[in-house]
Amino acid sequence: MRDGSDGGRLRLWALLAVLILALASVAAGCGGDDDDGEAAGEETTAETGGGGDTGEATGEPIKIGVFANNEGAFAPFEGQTWGGAMLPLINRGATPVSGDPTDGVENAVIAGHPIEFVYGGSDSTPDKAVEEARRLVEQEQVDILVGPLSGAEGIAVANYSKEQPGVTFVNGISGAQDTTLKVRSPNFFRFHNDGTQWTAGMGDYAYNELGWRRVVTIGDDYDFPYSQVAGFVAEFCAIGGEVVERLWPALGEEDYSSFIAQIPDDVDGFFLAVGGTGTVAFVNQYQELRGNLADNIMGGVFMTDPVILKEIGDQVVGVVTAGMTAGDSQEPAYLEYSEGLGEAYPDLEGTASSVFAYGYYTAMEAIAQALEQVDGDLSDDHAAFRDALTNLELDAPLGPIVLDENRQAIMDNFLQQIVEDQTGDGIPDVKTIKTIPEVDQTFGGFFSPETPSPDRTNPACEKADPPPWTQQGGGDG
Amino acid sequence: MTRPAVTVERALWWGPGLVILVALLLGPLLFTDFYLSQVITKALWLGIAAASLIFLAAYVGMISLGQVGLYGIAGFTMANLVQADGGSPAAWNPWLATLGGIVVCVGVGLFFGAIASRSYGIYFLMITLAFGVITYYFFAQVTQLSGFGGVNNVDRPDIVSNPVTDPANLFYIALGVSAAVYLLVRYLVRTPFGLALQGIRDDPSRMRALGYNVPLLRMLAFGLGALIASFAGILSVWWNTRISPGSIDLTRTIDVLVIAVIGGLFRLEGAWIGALVFTVLDNWTRGIDLIGQRFNTVIGAIFLVIVLLSPGGLMGIWQSVTDSVGRLFSRKPPTPPPLRPETRPAGESPQTS
Repeated sequence: MRDGSDGGRLRLWALLAVLILALASVAAGCGGDDDDGEAAGEETTAETGGGGDTGEATGEPIKIGVFANNEGAFAPFEGQTWGGAMLPLINRGATPVSGDPTDGVENAVIAGHPIEFVYGGSDSTPDKAVEEARRLVEQEQVDILVGPLSGAEGIAVANYSKEQPGVTFVNGISGAQDTTLKVRSPNFFRFHNDGTQWTAGMGDYAYNELGWRRVVTIGDDYDFPYSQVAGFVAEFCAIGGEVVERLWPALGEEDYSSFIAQIPDDVDGFFLAVGGTGTVAFVNQYQELRGNLADNIMGGVFMTDPVILKEIGDQVVGVVTAGMTAGDSQEPAYLEYSEGLGEAYPDLEGTASSVFAYGYYTAMEAIAQALEQVDGDLSDDHAAFRDALTNLELDAPLGPIVLDENRQAIMDNFLQQIVEDQTGDGIPDVKTIKTIPEVDQTFGGFFSPETPSPDRTNPACEKADPPPWTQQGGGDG
Repeated sequence: MTRPAVTVERALWWGPGLVILVALLLGPLLFTDFYLSQVITKALWLGIAAASLIFLAAYVGMISLGQVGLYGIAGFTMANLVQADGGSPAAWNPWLATLGGIVVCVGVGLFFGAIASRSYGIYFLMITLAFGVITYYFFAQVTQLSGFGGVNNVDRPDIVSNPVTDPANLFYIALGVSAAVYLLVRYLVRTPFGLALQGIRDDPSRMRALGYNVPLLRMLAFGLGALIASFAGILSVWWNTRISPGSIDLTRTIDVLVIAVIGGLFRLEGAWIGALVFTVLDNWTRGIDLIGQRFNTVIGAIFLVIVLLSPGGLMGIWQSVTDSVGRLFSRKPPTPPPLRPETRPAGESPQTS
């Protein structure tokens, strides 16, 4: 072993500095003796304009934590989530701190109360999501938490919310069915449809319009694609289709060749629920191995995401998908929302139809409206505020959103087709071909708290009473 | 008969350790509930996981990247055996399930140790890494036992209590187990078995020539490492109230390695020191404006600094500090530094005072 010779002395002092830094961080983090003392020296992001010189902000500050994924397969969408979340505040007079949405806003005020935002981020694993949720709730002491982003995270955070009755949790965009249908937490709200609801209309289109009878499904191996495939299977099989096989690559998989090889040649088509960075990889690899993809796939909600369309748009022209956003809407409310997003954050121009932006937008807009209704009163464990949230009829840019008695949204679903570029920006666009109104979480009676959770084999492919919006069920096919 | 320099050195070496120990014993009084639960308790069980790695590295010469996989096996087994959301429908008594988890983990550890016992150096590292990754995919793919969403709301023994509302119980349990693991390892390495392991670390062929069954001893050592890792796994499930494949993925494997290296790969105390520094940094950097999403960069940079400047990690620095100060207090004219238990400078004559 070396002894402390002269050469080592410099190293020694350098490392002592590191050690002292580490110890200082422990001291900073310790906090006081009280159980609820906040950690001294902790800084929050994007605080309100310092000094409180805005005349209107007279109420007590309200702390809202926002977290999405800043690591993992969904990290590229973080800007969209924050852009959507900050837009309701910008519409109420706040100013973005910078061109990066995750830096937050200044001068955010709702109903006379200044709003402080706290930044958080996870990596699509339930463990990390709960750790972040706990840090934001217990260490940063937020009043309201917006998030998480990914399916499995949502279930874990919804479970955690039951332990914190004094905090209101509003979902970001996590879309697993169980998060509300099974967990049923009284202080967890979801202002958008779940993954299953987002497939309403697809089984009907596949069977009746495309004439498919035998189908293979491919989805990432976790809760959100389970929910998406569940919706498709329930509808398609109910009206007489057959799901021959279900393939489940791991989330974040980069080599899909073995899965592509498993797709039988004699099926009519396949339903693709691979998301995040996997969508691009899958489409590119399919093109190389099998050729034109657009003729025989239907896509889950990720297909129409603007970021994805930019990457692979030409290869998927003609594909039909469904989801809660309609990028081609010409409704004034939608145009206002879309232009507002592009003005506030030029980097997000054209991404307003992304579910990531829309989901976080509706969550924050609902919070803002409910707070305005109760004048920012969060007393009594948010009783009045939660009442306002539950009964809110949100006039969202793409149609009204109401909550069912389990605090899960009921809203329209849009069947869309990817078409050639029409706006001149070189990227294919989407065209809404059908609107399924007011899809609820039971999916027309298929799912309840007692039905098995969607997974690799559930629901089974069985003929049943078709959902009301299908041709067979009496809808206007 | 002890020289003043040695006394001062010993006091310096053990002093802070005692201070930290006392601070920990008074934990619930000194820290907020959140900090106690999310940072200190996490540091304790992560420290146990790192200790299993450091035990194998320091005393047997086996650097294993499979410890996280092993503690995952213990955790998942226990989670599946008790009442929980997800996983198998079994609903055993939590203490029996804990025992079950430990037994299965040690069994797998011995089995895997038998396979890997003839590999050395980089090959051993790779085979244990492969083992860790296989374990991750096993639990991610086998939905009857876990699946991506993992096993939630895992039932725990009454004495453990809710880690969100009542963290003191689990904290003391983790502290107790950490102390027990530390004392166990320190005792074990002085037994003939422990000495044989250290012999294998230093020169396996010589040990074989002396008649020791080297592969068998390595297998047993790996099983012992699995035992220690299993404690970490059980504690992590009680701490999290859930376990999912994300708890044992490649990132966590690297985290434990980073902790061991920061603390000092060849010092057992380094496990907990490294774990504490890691969890404190992780928590602290996330809350800072300027850093925001780039906390991993900060942690990585600090890791790099420590690795470059002190291969012995933080415990290595501490060793140098105590040596320097000890020399300052020595009343003798410049003499070779006092001999330390693990080292003997080449060519030096023994104890001169």
